[in-house]
Amino acid sequence: MPTLKMILNGQEVFVDVEAGDLLADVLRDKLGLIGTKISCGEGECGACAVLVDGRAVDSCLYPALKAQGREVTTIEGLGQDNRLDPIQQAFIDKTAPQCGYCIPGMVISAKALLDENPHPTRQEIEEGISGNLCRCTGYYQIIEAIELAAERLAEKGGPK
Amino acid sequence: MSNRVVGQSVPKIDAATKVRGQRKFPQDFNMKGQLYAKVVWSEYPHARVLKIDVSPAEALPGVVAILTSKDVPVNEYGINIVDQPVLVGEGEKVRWLGDRIAIVIGESEKIAQEARQLVRVEYEPLPVVSDPREAMKPGAPLIHEERGDSNILKHVKIRKGDIEKGFAEADVVIEKYYLTPHVEHAYMQPEAGVGYIDEKGRVTVIAAAQWSHDDLHQISHMLDLPLDQVREIVPAIGGAFGGREDMYIQHLLALCAYCVRRPVKMVFDREESIRNTGKRHPYYMKYRTGATRDGKLTAVEIELISDAGGYASTSIPVLNNAASFAAGPYVVPHAKVDAYTVYTNNAVTMAMRGFGSTQPAFAYEMQMNKLAEALGVDPVELRMKNLLEDGSIALTGNPMPKGVGIKETLRQAALGAGWREEGDQWIKPDLGTPSAPYRRRGIGVACGYKNVGYSFGFDDKSKVIVELALDESGEVARALVKLGASDQGMGAHTALAQIAAEALGIDYEKVRVALVDTSVVPNGGSCSASRHVYMSGNAIIRACQEAVRKRQEALRTGERRVSVEYEYHGRSVRPTTPYDDENGMCDPHISYGYTSQIALVEVDVETGQTEVLKFLAAQDVGKAINPEMVKGQAGGGVHMGLGYALTEEFIQKEGLVKTRRFSEYHIPTVADMPREFIPFIVEVPDPTGPFGAKGVGEMTTLPTAPAIISAIHDAVGVWIDNLPATAEKVWWKMREKAGMA
Amino acid sequence: MWDEYLFPASLDEALEMLEAHGGEARIIAGGTDLVLQSQRGQCSAKVMVDITRIPGLDYIEERDGLIYIGAQVTHGQVAASPLIRSRAGVLAQGCGSVGGPQIRNVGTLVGNVVNALPAADGAIALFALDAEVEVAERAGRHWTPIATLYAGVGLCTVDPCAAMITQLRFRALGKGEAGAFERLAKRRALVLPILNAAAIVGLKGNKVERARIAIGPVAQTPFVAAEAAEALVGRTPDEDRISRVAQLAAQAAQPRDSLLRGSAEYRKVMAGVLVRRALWRAVEAASLQEGEDANS
Ligand SMILES: Cc1cc2nc3c(=O)[nH]c(=O)nc-3n(C[C@@H](O)[C@@H](O)[C@H](O)COP(=O)(O)OP(=O)(O)OC[C@H]3O[C@@H](n4cnc5c(N)ncnc54)[C@H](O)[C@@H]3O)c2cc1C
Ligand code: FES
Ligand code: FES
Repeated sequence: MPTLKMILNGQEVFVDVEAGDLLADVLRDKLGLIGTKISCGEGECGACAVLVDGRAVDSCLYPALKAQGREVTTIEGLGQDNRLDPIQQAFIDKTAPQCGYCIPGMVISAKALLDENPHPTRQEIEEGISGNLCRCTGYYQIIEAIELAAERLAEKGGPK
Repeated sequence: MSNRVVGQSVPKIDAATKVRGQRKFPQDFNMKGQLYAKVVWSEYPHARVLKIDVSPAEALPGVVAILTSKDVPVNEYGINIVDQPVLVGEGEKVRWLGDRIAIVIGESEKIAQEARQLVRVEYEPLPVVSDPREAMKPGAPLIHEERGDSNILKHVKIRKGDIEKGFAEADVVIEKYYLTPHVEHAYMQPEAGVGYIDEKGRVTVIAAAQWSHDDLHQISHMLDLPLDQVREIVPAIGGAFGGREDMYIQHLLALCAYCVRRPVKMVFDREESIRNTGKRHPYYMKYRTGATRDGKLTAVEIELISDAGGYASTSIPVLNNAASFAAGPYVVPHAKVDAYTVYTNNAVTMAMRGFGSTQPAFAYEMQMNKLAEALGVDPVELRMKNLLEDGSIALTGNPMPKGVGIKETLRQAALGAGWREEGDQWIKPDLGTPSAPYRRRGIGVACGYKNVGYSFGFDDKSKVIVELALDESGEVARALVKLGASDQGMGAHTALAQIAAEALGIDYEKVRVALVDTSVVPNGGSCSASRHVYMSGNAIIRACQEAVRKRQEALRTGERRVSVEYEYHGRSVRPTTPYDDENGMCDPHISYGYTSQIALVEVDVETGQTEVLKFLAAQDVGKAINPEMVKGQAGGGVHMGLGYALTEEFIQKEGLVKTRRFSEYHIPTVADMPREFIPFIVEVPDPTGPFGAKGVGEMTTLPTAPAIISAIHDAVGVWIDNLPATAEKVWWKMREKAGMA
Repeated sequence: MWDEYLFPASLDEALEMLEAHGGEARIIAGGTDLVLQSQRGQCSAKVMVDITRIPGLDYIEERDGLIYIGAQVTHGQVAASPLIRSRAGVLAQGCGSVGGPQIRNVGTLVGNVVNALPAADGAIALFALDAEVEVAERAGRHWTPIATLYAGVGLCTVDPCAAMITQLRFRALGKGEAGAFERLAKRRALVLPILNAAAIVGLKGNKVERARIAIGPVAQTPFVAAEAAEALVGRTPDEDRISRVAQLAAQAAQPRDSLLRGSAEYRKVMAGVLVRRALWRAVEAASLQEGEDANS
């Protein structure tokens, strides 16, 4: 069984995987990181999105071994200690989560977006989450939350 | 009373754990020593099972058990009519693709997966009935021979006034046929869960469910166990929208645990969820509407035919509801309604946001807009002349209870969209210039209303327990609300906690709502019918009032705990009655919510594509317990309505599913939503509601499709009477109109 | 799924790995097609040879008027590349409309070609650009026109179990040249098109000097409407002419009735609409370019 070594949420981890395992399954089943959700299993919804070297990918379609030696960030890796990431806080403040199943993926997509483009336009925000489906919200409060997070981050002087 | 908590957009009770990804959904539970189960699904929509050979699967190492019909103590269930086998055995029939032949249980998911492919099933295919209109005809192949000689499950009749007279009084009559499709709930969390035997020997299920106490009854019947030997725990639910009102996995998990006495986990993948779970009913609707020259409705004649699919599920209550709302939120003196629901071999159909009020809303609102056009009257103005008010006589002969806010929703939406009100006249706004020469703009209006709570004489009730923990000084340190109301995401627990905080006069942060565990919480009734704020809210207020009294006593005795149980019955304030067999007259519903919406669209005249630019949604919720949550419901409702109008179509051919995945069944993405979305919260109180509140969850979907479709007509002059209005459909209609087809 | 997952460190090593497994090993890039195909039993390879870590395959660059794109380049990188946006905008638009951001971050343009679907957005743009691909086999490397790769729906003449595509190239659009991409789909994001079209136009003065039109999915493979394009060359690209050329392109297209994509008739007419719009936008952009260049 090959060993996958990655920097997961800032910590080096080693985990035995099968060659055919997908990253989502390794995170959920082998590492117990249940924040990464599976909804469609075919790259169509973004519920399973995680960051690999800072870029959002759908982990349900991502061979686990591709993460070999990479930095992987899941929803659990956002924020520090007990403090929420400003994006997470903005999601709460804007009543963005309804059922919440899409939310980890949405937050990850928002994180990827704001890290690359701290001052997105409304259109850029929409593009940033256009790979994430939500059945509950109509997306409006999610967009507002990302706008709010961008504002707050700008006040504090940029993301990270 | 001035409200401190009610009416505030406090953070949702579960938001912090949800944004962290810590909240556990059913697939997130794992137990020590758990096994994995997979279902062997039917391969045919209608067939007799001749032979089931499990031996090759059994031989696979790691397979623990393969359950077939023989393993089910009482092999039947059904939420409304007990017409479904849990597992279909040899010699029995499958009636849709979602029927189950066997459940394979193995040491790992992979083994179970592999083993299910080894189960050999021989079928004798039977004729497939896929159109309810055909299925109704005498001589059509019977889906349920055991239930008599017709596929018709139910016929509802309403006869109000004198229909002949009504049409004789009409100057204009519009007669049209409408069709709405099957819709997939498409909640983002596929069915999943764990079944196990708990420390007290009870068969226990962890799964998403909308009415766990009803599941319990069905499970106890299936396993032939007393109620106290079964238990259901409902963790976070990843959306439901009606789709979890019925059991699709709960009973299977219970059966697995019961048979193997070990924890068993089962997760449906998206394809299983789409193929094998219930849908929104398609409705085939014939409407004939008459009005006088000055725009007063005189008569409406309606035929509704709904496709129930292979089993009844809630098709009858959905039909009852549909019929009662068939004439829309309007005063119509003379009416005749015939509504049918019919078995076919299509997907089972069930509750979905609106519960039968959504489909006729499409038809009656299209009729209103066609009438407006025929009469040359503004569509807002025509509605204002006919909308219900307090005390108006509804279709079923009952006076509307106080709190009818429909006119106010329309007024606010119309003014917001730029309409001008001049006396009795309403004048449509200028729509501005389209963004390209080949695009046309149009605007459309629609209204809708729907019941809150269970109807037609059903004893709708909610039982809650409120427990207070008092601190040294006798102040309430913590309040715990226990009720069997699951929160599928809309925020029921938050709203109920707010109501409790308000009623107790304490901070919201001090209130907890217990996890739904049937061994702990009492029956709160179904998490559907937009009913929890109203029903459970009323129960909580009363329980809290009692708790406040009891606290006074406790202060004297030095007791540190207070516990109150209260059961609220809807009929204590508004008794409802079932349809009269002959004329359908009744007082159907406890309370109502109202909504009006307006869509501004651009249609590409060359491709037929529609883009919704701007959307206004006004909902009368009586009292917004949490305004941001109300807006969230509006956004979500419009999302579903927009999918209904434009992109979503669950396609079956001869009972086989053609839209198998999210890559084939298209719910709207963020890019499909109107860029500009303007929600209005209207508060016309219902005096019987908690703080005047009604309900909101479902209403927000009702007018969306007719508003958009009418806007398309306004833009390019064609009516799309069968949803969805795909680009191609609009294009064909435009061609027809141009005389080219 | 597969049993082994390998990361070759060089092109030669990748080819050796393929050879060593005698048809059981297959190239994988982003995996956005291959993972699903493997799960659905449409790909039986037991060994994956992941090419995304081979040094030196991640470039987008221009040399001698040709743009080269390495096999690791993703749709996202193409869509964001200033070079592609300015010298082959049609490809940036095509790649920018693939799936959603997460798919574009992973899926490669070369993979889009090898997957050989007639609807592929990246590939359609490459057909309009008249691209060539470089095939590397144990015997050596050679360039071949993109069209030679296509043998039917999902059938690529280059066998990813024996050979590898290392890069693509096409002529950068220059003075008086521009392209445009149009697409029709069931919704506005995250969905395969029911129809797409890419057009390139080169202007000299007020006459068309060069034109190319590609349409998908209206045949077994991406379709190049050569005759229609020919009918534009040497002409003034006014509205009338463009409409007529688009008509010709639509006539030549052979879409089929599809339950999920729509009727043949609708899509045939739509092919005309998309081609007309793409040509029109291309002409507008090209004349702007010409104007600018003329001024500089
Ligand atoms: C949710 C979703 C949405 C999508 N939407 C679109 C869309 O809108 N438009 C669109 O066009 N496509 C779409 N796609 C498909 C698109 O992502 C792929 O076609 C992608 O471009 C393939 O690249 P890849 O690197 O992922 O290829 P892989 O999956 O790794 O490989 C694809 C094929 O190419 C072979 N291969 C890959 N690289 C090489 C090479 N260098 N040499 C030889 N063989 C090679 C592989 O063996 C395999 O046969 C979508 C996919 C998903 C999952
Ligand atoms: S679960 Fe991975 S994209 Fe939907
Ligand atoms: S909040 Fe439920 S899917 Fe987005």
